[in-house]
Amino acid sequence: MNQYKRLAICGGIYSNYLALQQLLEKCNKLGVDTIFCLGDIGGFGPHPDRCFPLLRKGRVETIAGNYDISLAQEREDCGCGYTDPRDNYFAQASYNYTFAHTSKENKIWMKTLPSQQRFLLGNLKVLVCHGSPRQTNEFLWESSTPKHLLENFAVDYKADVICCTHTGIKWHRTLTQNKHFINVGVIGRPENDGHAYVWFAILDHDGKQFRCQFHPLEYDYKKLAAEILEEGLPKEFATTIQTGWWTTCLETMPSKERSRGKF
Amino acid sequence: MSAYTTSVSELPIGPPQAHFGFLETLWFQIAGTLCNLRCEHCFISCSPDNHTLKMMKTQDIFYYLDQAKELGVKGIYYTGGEPFLHQDFLEILERTLLDFPVSVLTNGLPINNQRADRLEHLYSKSCYSLEIRISLDDYNEKRNDAVRGKGTFRQVLNTYKRLYDRGLLPILTVSEIGDYLNPEEVPIDSYEKYVGLLQSIGVKQPRIKIIPVFEMGMLPIPEKAEKISPHMMKNYDHSLLQCSSSRMIAADGIYACPILVGEKKAKMAQNSLKEALKPCSLYHTACHTCYLTGMTCRNF
Repeated sequence: MNQYKRLAICGGIYSNYLALQQLLEKCNKLGVDTIFCLGDIGGFGPHPDRCFPLLRKGRVETIAGNYDISLAQEREDCGCGYTDPRDNYFAQASYNYTFAHTSKENKIWMKTLPSQQRFLLGNLKVLVCHGSPRQTNEFLWESSTPKHLLENFAVDYKADVICCTHTGIKWHRTLTQNKHFINVGVIGRPENDGHAYVWFAILDHDGKQFRCQFHPLEYDYKKLAAEILEEGLPKEFATTIQTGWWTTCLETMPSKERSRGKF
Repeated sequence: MSAYTTSVSELPIGPPQAHFGFLETLWFQIAGTLCNLRCEHCFISCSPDNHTLKMMKTQDIFYYLDQAKELGVKGIYYTGGEPFLHQDFLEILERTLLDFPVSVLTNGLPINNQRADRLEHLYSKSCYSLEIRISLDDYNEKRNDAVRGKGTFRQVLNTYKRLYDRGLLPILTVSEIGDYLNPEEVPIDSYEKYVGLLQSIGVKQPRIKIIPVFEMGMLPIPEKAEKISPHMMKNYDHSLLQCSSSRMIAADGIYACPILVGEKKAKMAQNSLKEALKPCSLYHTACHTCYLTGMTCRNF
């Protein structure tokens, strides 16, 4: 099992290759042993194929999200499981574009991605996954995830630290016996707070203490928004990138998180 | 993503079964079948004089909440009948919100200003979400009131706004009964109609859940009602059915799902939650509705 002292973890990229470029540069400066991406490489953004060379060049340890699985298996939708007709409309528009613009080679590559990874951070056993340890497309929002469930995950999956993404908004909860559950957020789109930057996490262990720090990541969001529109994707996707407020895929968001947003 | 599918060799004889994955959602039929309304389409025929399913005892609810915590249940849902008819409901909510995210399915009428203030207090002091789902059956006042009772349309909108103004962001839960009763008039943009309705009362973050009609309870079961055949479960993702990850507790036992509460064949256990976590039979026409529509009683 690989052992690290300090690493970066990012959540869904959503075809935001400009943020991914910035992440790789920032991680170079911050000095990390490795970078993990917890899946959902495509979606929302333009030119999905631009992310794959960056992931390979940066030797990013990538696991499969529901989007990657759907694309790799050539399914008809992203597998987020929305029931709201408006969310479904936009999710389908995003998926259809991404499917059409992802090369066969990259779809085949996504088939090789593991669904989870385990490693050591210092002496801590870490498990990284996409939605939850038990279900790739499970939404674990801060306000709708009870502590006892996370305690059970830590025991059932024999991990001191579990990291996930999928919802799009970061949070960190310290559990009993100094265990941790972390949703690292996403670098694909801002986190519904009116700011254009996105977030990733740095985890480190100095031999004594575990630390999780969330880092904001600035990138050329104006360029990304312009390319979204040039590619004929819904203007609502560009609005989110420009304003920092989510305009779509709001159905699954609990009231506490939703009330902090604009839409 | 699904973790479990069925192969042909596993198919049982008779009604197929839904595999049980994990207990994500636990429901309480807290007010039994007692309701202040008598809706034309209620799938369990709740009404002011239906005592078929009894009001749950508060101590029993706490007993099950302890089990649920141990089992790692993710969210608790309270429904009825009308849950606010339970005399201890606010106390029960307060206790539940210490450990769980909570959702409440209500017709909205019992939520006056005083109760709304209390809900706001509970919502703001808990780290967990409190989702209030309020039922409406048509964006047209006359058609809604024909189903739910005179004056309900306006009372529901008043309650929605009352809670929205307190920051609770309720979910308007609408059934497709209008389409069912008036098939020739089906609008293609009913979702947008509900968005427009909420916007017309000043709601900027409308939340809407649309659910199908279940032909049972107050509605007649069609003569040629369809059921799930074993063949339909071939290579089917069982996690798409809510009975693979939820159970419903009523005063008289534990049932497979919120729709089949009170149905003898859907009873999974008497009082042990652990015992109820097993495959359930997809014997009912309502199972076919869930299968066909992808219906979940959860918020999403």
